[in-house]
Amino acid sequence: MRGIKRIAVATMAVGILAAAGCGGGDKPIGSASSSNPSSSTSSGGGTGQFKKGGTVTIANVGGQTWPCQFNPFNPAVNQVALGFVYEPLTFVNVLKSGATTPMLATAFAWSPKKDSIVFTIRDGVKWSDGQPFSADDVVYTFNLMKQQPALDLYALWSGAGLTSVTAAGNKVTLQFKGAAEPYFYNFANQVGIVPKHIWSTGEAASKPATWANPKPVGTGAFTVESCTSNNISYAANGSYWQPGKPYVSKVQYPAYLDNNPANLDLASGKAQWGGQYIPNIDNFYKSKSPENNYWFPPTANVAIVPNLDPSHKVTSNLAVRQAIAYALDREQISKIGESGYQPAANQTGVVTPTFDKYFDKDALTAAGYDKPNQDKAKQLLEGAGYNASNPLKLTIISVTGYTDWDASLAVVKQQLAAVGIELTTQDLQQQSYNQNLYPGDYDLAYSSQSGGPTPYYELRQQLYSKNTAPIGKQDNSNYSRYINPEVDKLFDQYASADEDTQVKLIKQISGYMIKDIPVIPTTESVDWYQYNTKDLEGWPTQDNPYAQPAPYNIPDVGQVLTNLYSKSAQK
Amino acid sequence: MSAIVAGTATPAPSASRRPRGGLFRAILHNRKAMLGAGLLILFCLLAAFPHLFVPWLHGDPQAIGDLPLQQPSSKHWLGTTGLGQDVYAELIYSTRESLIIAVVAGLGATILSVIIGVSAAYLGGAADNLLSMMTDIFLVLPTFPLIIVLATYAGKGNLTVIIVVLILTGWSYGARQMRAQALSLRNRDFLESARVRGERRSYIIVVEVLPTMISLIVANFLGAALYAVLTAAGLQFLGLGDPNSLSWGTMLYWAQNQGALVNGLRAWALAPGLAVALLGVSFALLNYAFDEISNPALRPVRRRRARQH
Amino acid sequence: MRYLIRRLGFFVLTLWAAMTLNFFIPRLMPGSPEEALRERLSKGGSVVTPEQLRTVLAEFGFEPDKNILLQYVEYLKAMVTGHWGVSVGSSLGVPVTDLISSALPWTLGLVGITTVLAFIIGTFIGMVSGWRRGGLIDGVVPPVFIVTSALPYFWVALLLISIFAIGNNPLLPNDFNYDQGLTPGFNVQFIGSVIKHGLLPAATILITAVGGWILTMRNNMVTTLAEDYVRMARAKGIPGRRIMFGYAGRNAFLPNLSGFAMSLGFVISGTILVEYVFNYPGLGYMFYNATVSTDYPLLQSLFLLVTLAVLICVLLCDFAVFLLDPRARTEG
Repeated sequence: MRGIKRIAVATMAVGILAAAGCGGGDKPIGSASSSNPSSSTSSGGGTGQFKKGGTVTIANVGGQTWPCQFNPFNPAVNQVALGFVYEPLTFVNVLKSGATTPMLATAFAWSPKKDSIVFTIRDGVKWSDGQPFSADDVVYTFNLMKQQPALDLYALWSGAGLTSVTAAGNKVTLQFKGAAEPYFYNFANQVGIVPKHIWSTGEAASKPATWANPKPVGTGAFTVESCTSNNISYAANGSYWQPGKPYVSKVQYPAYLDNNPANLDLASGKAQWGGQYIPNIDNFYKSKSPENNYWFPPTANVAIVPNLDPSHKVTSNLAVRQAIAYALDREQISKIGESGYQPAANQTGVVTPTFDKYFDKDALTAAGYDKPNQDKAKQLLEGAGYNASNPLKLTIISVTGYTDWDASLAVVKQQLAAVGIELTTQDLQQQSYNQNLYPGDYDLAYSSQSGGPTPYYELRQQLYSKNTAPIGKQDNSNYSRYINPEVDKLFDQYASADEDTQVKLIKQISGYMIKDIPVIPTTESVDWYQYNTKDLEGWPTQDNPYAQPAPYNIPDVGQVLTNLYSKSAQK
Repeated sequence: MSAIVAGTATPAPSASRRPRGGLFRAILHNRKAMLGAGLLILFCLLAAFPHLFVPWLHGDPQAIGDLPLQQPSSKHWLGTTGLGQDVYAELIYSTRESLIIAVVAGLGATILSVIIGVSAAYLGGAADNLLSMMTDIFLVLPTFPLIIVLATYAGKGNLTVIIVVLILTGWSYGARQMRAQALSLRNRDFLESARVRGERRSYIIVVEVLPTMISLIVANFLGAALYAVLTAAGLQFLGLGDPNSLSWGTMLYWAQNQGALVNGLRAWALAPGLAVALLGVSFALLNYAFDEISNPALRPVRRRRARQH
Repeated sequence: MRYLIRRLGFFVLTLWAAMTLNFFIPRLMPGSPEEALRERLSKGGSVVTPEQLRTVLAEFGFEPDKNILLQYVEYLKAMVTGHWGVSVGSSLGVPVTDLISSALPWTLGLVGITTVLAFIIGTFIGMVSGWRRGGLIDGVVPPVFIVTSALPYFWVALLLISIFAIGNNPLLPNDFNYDQGLTPGFNVQFIGSVIKHGLLPAATILITAVGGWILTMRNNMVTTLAEDYVRMARAKGIPGRRIMFGYAGRNAFLPNLSGFAMSLGFVISGTILVEYVFNYPGLGYMFYNATVSTDYPLLQSLFLLVTLAVLICVLLCDFAVFLLDPRARTEG
């Protein structure tokens, strides 16, 4: 149900600890990427010109009818605005470890200390109402977020240390308090640039956070042609800055309240682009047509998070955690709990195959976590004083409605029972769950982070001591309360290291994941993605992962939409 | 859910009372009552001795299996769930929880409605006004939304909370009827004679009044049990119960989530609902039958003399 | 006259009680719109401070820190004057009145019409069945409708879907209120689509609701028929149909009418379940959503609306009884 979606949305990475422009073969300083601006991606589907035409219909459950608001600063509605109508300065591809593609900025350059960055703004771009786009709009967008903290969704001014945004000609300079490369992913990729001439007048100026923005004006490939509570209709932007694009002329985005109708439409081909969790997908979806395809790229982990605070005697015992990590058969959890949709995770915390180059397989094998080892688990438990007459009893909290989590935990429960651990799952409403998770009021919790373009982001969310707080106080993302100054140092070094060193640092950090077991990953959370090739081509695929492929990944959706073309329109 | 409960809105104040032994015989002669009672007994057996009906099962009926989402077969009479669990086994074992909810919540609501209704009738005056107003307020409040809110936030899906919430929202209908009937009985001769004898008010209420109201109380219990079963199933179906529990509503929740209907798994999608329906029907039949028994005018006319043209 | 005044007084008192409950219950529960908002904003550990959350919510008119009694008074004022605020749930920023007015016509249309239909049809069948006791109708009616009235709403919905709306070429659609691509308007296509989508939900409500009315009416009818004045009318030679409608029916109908108002509570619960199963974007569905996303303003307004509707119905039914039943008038 809706619950499955929420996990998926969590992987729509909004981490404040964002990607640096490095990783994925690009140089941190200097030219933005190796790709040609007019082809819009490093190896997009079809770099040639295609004829225009065709419609793509999206099937993505939003759980509500459309309020027909398109304010990119409103987190409840920006999923239908960013990428479709509004664009960022630079697109960062998580699936290629942070490869960048220039969008509204043709190039960027960091200062040597990485505390300021200069974007070269593209010429010749027009807003969809005909007005010219300029660096002033960029400056206005960022300063708007400073004036109205409610708009600063990524805490750039407060958390990232942004101190000023200024323009000189066609160059915009962002000045930070300190090294800010980790936040590149947020400010370059996730902030949609809005037009000054619209947002400085009227209701937009007085109440930008609540302004409905029913007829959004942006630089993107599409404009909102019409919107009713049941459907949003986008039409191609005639004056889009990428010549000849977009190829498809219409996008339909119906409002679905529930999974079943959306899945039915995908199976029948009525909708071609899905972001859905479909149970029994081979039988239900794939078998209906040879042109029905799906791909679930993994981006982060779903994990059992133990409470490491000494006040929780059981879970702060390393032997207990190790026993759990040895007892788990992750393949089985993946196969039965997630129907095989989410691949098995591993104890290093590095998501494979997406981040293969950071994966230290040897260390994993050497420690014995590469396959389940029930005997070792039983040994460890005995050593900790648990046996048949004194069994280990644990409770794990999860969220009501996340049925695949419930299913996975049911499998985990059986696996732990085999080594003598009695696990009880407690499903809580999202609010109650948060109230237990953030202040550390739990023994075990099932949770997932959103991650980012490299494993650094997720690991940092989980292990960095600045992301945690004492028991009873709300923390950020380090729920387990893991504090290790050695690991902190490794994270600090990452921000200013070159690419090879970064890989080494990640491997070192994952060494601590193996040694200290602060978090026990079970499966890898994925982007839910279905695509129908009957008429449309140019989709991101496993062989060509030019963007995160789900329709709810923003702003990646803009990349996909500018690559799709209709086969029938080519005749 | 329906106005079947409204069907008891007209208690027959002028009902003549049969001696208690006759009640039992009355049930036996009433076809509806027999059917309802039969169903209920079947469910009680299922709840008490589930292993008799699933003899091949050793261990947890919720055990995860290797063949998820199967159609009914000789091995799995109703197919399997998304986790490979046997639908038939789960169905049988879920009877217990549903029956517990029905009986406990029904009993609780009935007791509460008797206490409040009869007290209102006998205390009279300001107390009566206050209690009546409270009853009316609860009657008019849209209780299902209230239940959803309570169950969502206070519950954590806990069964006890659900039962308490059901009791708190289910008593008002019965209280009104109890009060009406108690009021009409107040002036009857046998009570007058008890008063004249000098008996205490509490004695009068407990020993004289309540037994006379027995059939109404039973009918009320059945109505409340029906209400409890349907509402609890509805709550669990919406996902507000404990998704790891073994109950029909939860089975339906999982079936809906795994798209059982759209996947063609009709057995899984419909069987738990059918079970809820049958349990509800048994209560409704008994309820209706009790109406007939207590109100002779309602009894089915057999092939005797036709009363009208 | 006193009767009317008492009923009005009851109306006001109940409304106040409902609003007070409505105010305090969500606030006693764990969680708050702040946390819900945080959940939405911090997908992945962004450092959204509590102050920032409060700012966002304050922009939307939500100030949780004021003295609770002050909030209560303001809440009462706001509810009464129609300033129902802005949603802080999944439709963050949309005025509550907009949300409700977009969903209201669908619920009124579907549920309202069907419930009234069920009542009318049920009463009529019950009357005829009670009149022709021992006949064929009476043999069939009670058992069949006892069963249908005990069926859970959502199961009937699922059953209907499995029969009519599944498969490669389903007869009827199984979700939503009209086809996706259509724009609302008074044209044949749109209206046809609305009707098509409304058939199954309407059938669900009809099937389950009609039974109760039939049975109550039948029982009332039978009891009334045993009264002396009916025997008198028959002795006088008045045609059967006139007795059925004009004498017995009219009197048997009255308790049914009061029962109708009281049973609206059950109607509401049915609405939520039916709309949930059919994904019908009406008020019931909105209520469910609002509960799960801790959308206080929307929850409060919906609750108020529903209570108001039920109370008005009760009041109207009471007036109707007053008009139709001389006994109520003289009792005062």
